[in-house]
Amino acid sequence: MSDNFDREWRLEELLDAAVLDRIGPALDGLLAGDVAIVGIDGTALWGVATGEGLREPLVLELEPVGYLHSRQAAQASLKAIRCLLEQLLRTQARYKMASNLHLEAVAEDFESLRLEHAKLQESEARYKALSADLENRVKAQIVQLEERQQMLYEAERLATVGQLAAGVAHEVNNPLGFVRSNLSTFQNYLGKFAQLKATLGEGEAAWRRLDLDFVLEDGQDLLTDTLKGIDRIARIVAELKSFSNVDRASEEFSDLNDSLHHAANVIEGQLPSGVSIRLNLLPLPGLVCLPGHINQMLLNLMRNAAQAIADAGRSGEVRVSSEADEEGITIRIQDNGVGMKPEQLARAFEPFYTTRPVGSGAGLGLSTVRNIVLAHSGRITLESEPDAGTTVTLFFPVPK
Amino acid sequence: MPDSEAGKLSFKLVYYGPAQSGKTTNLLRLHEQLSPELKGEMMTLETQDDRTLFFDLLPFGFRAPSGLLIKFRLFTVPGQVAHDGTRKAVLSRSDGVVFVADSDRAQETNNAESFQTLAENCSRVGLDFEHLPLVVQFNKRDLPTAVPEAEIRARWESAPWPLVFASALRGDGVEESFEALLRSTYRHYAESHELASRHGLDEDMFVAGALGRQAAP
Repeated sequence: MSDNFDREWRLEELLDAAVLDRIGPALDGLLAGDVAIVGIDGTALWGVATGEGLREPLVLELEPVGYLHSRQAAQASLKAIRCLLEQLLRTQARYKMASNLHLEAVAEDFESLRLEHAKLQESEARYKALSADLENRVKAQIVQLEERQQMLYEAERLATVGQLAAGVAHEVNNPLGFVRSNLSTFQNYLGKFAQLKATLGEGEAAWRRLDLDFVLEDGQDLLTDTLKGIDRIARIVAELKSFSNVDRASEEFSDLNDSLHHAANVIEGQLPSGVSIRLNLLPLPGLVCLPGHINQMLLNLMRNAAQAIADAGRSGEVRVSSEADEEGITIRIQDNGVGMKPEQLARAFEPFYTTRPVGSGAGLGLSTVRNIVLAHSGRITLESEPDAGTTVTLFFPVPK
Repeated sequence: MPDSEAGKLSFKLVYYGPAQSGKTTNLLRLHEQLSPELKGEMMTLETQDDRTLFFDLLPFGFRAPSGLLIKFRLFTVPGQVAHDGTRKAVLSRSDGVVFVADSDRAQETNNAESFQTLAENCSRVGLDFEHLPLVVQFNKRDLPTAVPEAEIRARWESAPWPLVFASALRGDGVEESFEALLRSTYRHYAESHELASRHGLDEDMFVAGALGRQAAP
């Protein structure tokens, strides 16, 4: 049955058992038991309908919803009872309509609230997702900004170092040039002294007394050594100049093995005693890169490796290998030095993090390295065991 | 759809509109002015400060030549914004609507908002607002601040619904509004309920029976 508040109510709904139990005996009392309340379909709700005597309709709105029956009652009495009963029916109907309407309204309100709640939840979820997304984007931007800043800083530093190196090289080359030229000339002059000996005559005694034979011989040796030294200086300056070619900031197509050779040559002269470097390089495809930065990076890594062995206080070897596959180029720089503890490993790439005494390094080495690797779309991984050594693996993707 | 039981066809007609626009007054006037064959008592549910909390109900009716009882049950909705749930429930299952607007210029926004909720609530309770018999009544023409009739007519010119100007307080236009709704209602339901063909009831007889007037010959 429908529970709509606005449906037409039937007599038996308005006069339920509880109500009849209360009004029925009262009606009986008024009419000495000679009364019946009958529904519109003829069913007696109270008393027994006989079909004889008087009948009064019970009207709620327009048409009868039931009847009052009595065999012998006075019509006036029956009408009076009808009037009372109709009043009761209206009150009952009002009450039932109001409570059913209230239920319908509450259900409607609840439904509206539920829809609104669902919408709110949906929008809340959207905002949460948006906020998380924004947060991630901000984080990513911050990381990127930090990297860019670091790179900028490094580029600046490298440019400065490069300029300095170029300046030093230039300045050293000048005096080096004339010192070398002078020394050669002086060597020639010593030859002339040697010729002098043949023409000295009695002066020969004096020559021997002054042991000029030894002086001449040793002088030649000294000058030869000095020249070798000068040549070495010249070579180092040339290396420095070539290495610090960071102002050559444009990208070039180059072979990383060349850079490895380069860096190894530079580091070789600075290796602590007992530390050696060994290259095991396989042919590599060319890579578009910034050679100045790559050189700086490889030099940093090799210097770190050599230093780690020296720190361990033993002799050892820095092993540098390179290889390539379809994906790209892998470079490994391996040492058997002091290694790093896990907590050091975790912070190794942090700028300004250093385990060395103040003054021996700014703590920028590895962070610079990482920035350079990232700038070449590469990857860098560190593996380290305390007291066993560290392996740095670099990977650079090669475009297909 | 009008409720049809054996021998009876019952129309639920609803007076809808903003708070205190005169919906209950409309019903009270109809109760006074109409003299149909059958007229029930006006049932007013609880009120709060003289404002409708649930609804008012006025039942009346007449018999068609076929013996069919044509019954009208006129409801008002509570106009206050807070009672939207009740308003929706009362509006449910209605067969026609008189929208009672307040002519007071200060009430123009309330009228517009209420009309908007009528359209929305119709779709919420499953009524086809486009085709629902609807009459728009501008009540309280007696107010000195009432918006001029020409202005209202111009604004509603393109709307498809009959427009009636009324002063329910004075009793003007109330019957006219109801008659307009009766005509829309008859046209909308006559065919599906065979009012003319089976029950011998044409539009004028329908209106005359409901209003308690002699049908024009």
